Amino acid sequence: MSNHIPVLIIVLVLGASFSIPLVARWRKTLIFPAAVTPLAISFGLSLYLFYLVGQQGAFSYHLGEWEPPWGIELYVDYLGAYMIMVLSSISLPVLVFASRDIHHDIREEVVSWYYTLYLLLIGSMMGIALTNDLFNLFVFVEISAIAACGIISIKEDRKCIEASFKYLILSALGSGCVLLAVAMIYMITGYLNFDYVAATMTEALSLYPYNILIALSLLIVGFGVKSALFPLHVWLPDAHSSAPSPSSAVLSGLVIKIYAVALVKMLFRVFPTAIYEVVPVLDIVLFLSVLAVVFGSIFAMVQDDIKRMLAYSSIAQIGYVFMGIGLFGDRALVGGLLHIFNHAMMKAMLFLAAGMIIYATGIRRIKDLKGIGVRMPLTMAAFTIGAFAMVGIPGTSGFISKWFLALGALDLGRPFYVAIILLSSLLNGIYYFPIVVNAFFGSKIEPHPEHKDVPASMLIPILLLAAGVIFFGFFPGPLLDLLEQAISF
Amino acid sequence: METIENLINNYYYFVAMVLFVIGFHTMLTHSNLIKKVIGMNIMDTSIFLFFVAIGYVHDGRAPIFLNGVEDHAYVHPLPSALILTGIVVAVSVTAYALSLIVKLYEHYGTVDADEIALIRSREDS
Amino acid sequence: MKTSTLDASKVFYPLLERGWFCVEDIVVRSVARIIVPFIQLYGFYVIFHGHLSPGGGFAGGAIVASSMILYGLSFNLEAGSRKLRHDVSTVLESGGALWYLLIGLFGILVGGQYLTNLGAGFYRGVPGQLFSSGMIFLLSMGIGAKVASTMITLFYSLSGGEDSGGNH
Repeated sequence: MSNHIPVLIIVLVLGASFSIPLVARWRKTLIFPAAVTPLAISFGLSLYLFYLVGQQGAFSYHLGEWEPPWGIELYVDYLGAYMIMVLSSISLPVLVFASRDIHHDIREEVVSWYYTLYLLLIGSMMGIALTNDLFNLFVFVEISAIAACGIISIKEDRKCIEASFKYLILSALGSGCVLLAVAMIYMITGYLNFDYVAATMTEALSLYPYNILIALSLLIVGFGVKSALFPLHVWLPDAHSSAPSPSSAVLSGLVIKIYAVALVKMLFRVFPTAIYEVVPVLDIVLFLSVLAVVFGSIFAMVQDDIKRMLAYSSIAQIGYVFMGIGLFGDRALVGGLLHIFNHAMMKAMLFLAAGMIIYATGIRRIKDLKGIGVRMPLTMAAFTIGAFAMVGIPGTSGFISKWFLALGALDLGRPFYVAIILLSSLLNGIYYFPIVVNAFFGSKIEPHPEHKDVPASMLIPILLLAAGVIFFGFFPGPLLDLLEQAISF
Repeated sequence: METIENLINNYYYFVAMVLFVIGFHTMLTHSNLIKKVIGMNIMDTSIFLFFVAIGYVHDGRAPIFLNGVEDHAYVHPLPSALILTGIVVAVSVTAYALSLIVKLYEHYGTVDADEIALIRSREDS
Repeated sequence: MKTSTLDASKVFYPLLERGWFCVEDIVVRSVARIIVPFIQLYGFYVIFHGHLSPGGGFAGGAIVASSMILYGLSFNLEAGSRKLRHDVSTVLESGGALWYLLIGLFGILVGGQYLTNLGAGFYRGVPGQLFSSGMIFLLSMGIGAKVASTMITLFYSLSGGEDSGGNH
């Protein structure tokens, strides 16, 4: 029974997603328990998955009892277990927040469809994390693209629909590039399974170098569009700022990261690593990530709307993850992968806090946020912790991942990137600290009769994530050990 | 002229790539939203053509046994099965994009992306 | 789509503006009335023979859906959209997907892996007959139901039929 856990996690979440419309027809009050219970169970199973991988090493699961070249294989190693843990642990508080928050954003009839799309998104991302088959990866990538656009456009506002359309078109572009790369790889190796492709790729490299180059570049463009690498990020500010707050939290925190992880899996498990000394692919990724880190922060500084500023900040932070990939050292990659979890926690918490402010007071512009800390102290305290973590102040988890990135850059003898990390941390501070200072020391916001109270079911997820940020800032040990074993491809 | 000879021999792949670039370019540059969706379809169709053309074996038949005749060249069935899934995915994305365009038309009154941007900038300022 | 006996600008455009049109042609209506059952029969044939001949769940589901779309286009879009009520289509869609997932669970209950076909004891039969190949037959039915229901719902919600909401 224990071996079936990988497929059972995905089946549980997907099955819950499909059964919510039936539950909604039956009894509306049961929708939220029917949605939260499978996510909670999958979180527990993901921790058990860690235990399994720790005990018996990486194992694979053959669907339908078909051996690998003929069947689809799920490969659970440390990286897969880590991503499942990240997905299930961050999506759970956001769903609890969403149960209260979305009622004022979307119509009553479509609330059950929000849960369906949310669970479909989480389930398909879990599939991306675990799969070992090229075409299976593509199918899950497409499902998550439609679900991600769905949770934006479910709020039928003008801006949401336009942003969701832009995201859909660019995402379809990315998927087309990924499918063409899969076609190229299948063409020269004849296999779709990662391990078999990797085995035949070394001899295919000498016979068909151009196909491999095209596949590599198409993969980087395709996954780069979907995970908002610098010049391909144009869909992100509109999409993440106009979406409902829990959708923004999941989109910024999880969706853009899982495509970076899919890129990591393909770059380092499918293609032979000898290729990166000949073709400067990783240098290009590094260069683009530096641009992302600097320009994302510069764009964020001039923003007026708080959610748009957080969206541009996401562009900068995903640059750190790609910097870890591009540097390709041991500690740099650990730092980049750790930043996935840290940023997911921080950005989800920041978006939820911004959503709380919008829910309670309706204020979205940064200028109008003076003195809101006095009215909503716990929310702004969480926002402050998130701001400190974004900048990378020691004591928060953001510091650990940036520290490891800097150490990794120094390991490889490239101190320029340490300077870039410091510069970007300074730029992060420039646009986060004014909000924090204004919130606590500005003039008091007049209590308005339309302002709502802060409900507990929305406050507790924010505080939980904030506690997680501080906890993993002081005790990052287990995560770091895990990731050091995850990167041994 | 070895490249010209290669291009003429593998004209399936060449045509697929030309269609891919046409679809890609249409998706990015044309401002009419429906043309973007059509461009996406052209691009996806070209990739399916490429994939199916990969699986073709010269002088091959469909992989179905006919009256006990068993040794004949068969076309590999895997790419066709993969493309069936891919076509369904492309249809879903097209349907979703078209429903978004219907909503956008209701809100803005036009399906031209440049005009929508103009209306947005006028109401934002 | 010009109507044969009525002036287009007086009949067609006002109807189009209200988001509702039908083809007022006796030939189309008569032929559609005869053909729709045959299209559905062909669609079910393609679904059920998915393991024997090309097609399967996706193609067969699309064919079954096209029969209902033909009905809606040639008669009345509103009457056509009422043929598949919202609760029935919800059950078909969710049920099709859940059917697929639950059949996969059979393999785990018997002791093999997920989605095991013959090892889980599904009826093997003689290859080439209709009731053969274990679970592929059952899966096609689930996929066919889901695809047909989805396509019909998509068409009627995009063309402004009974309830034009949602983007499933």
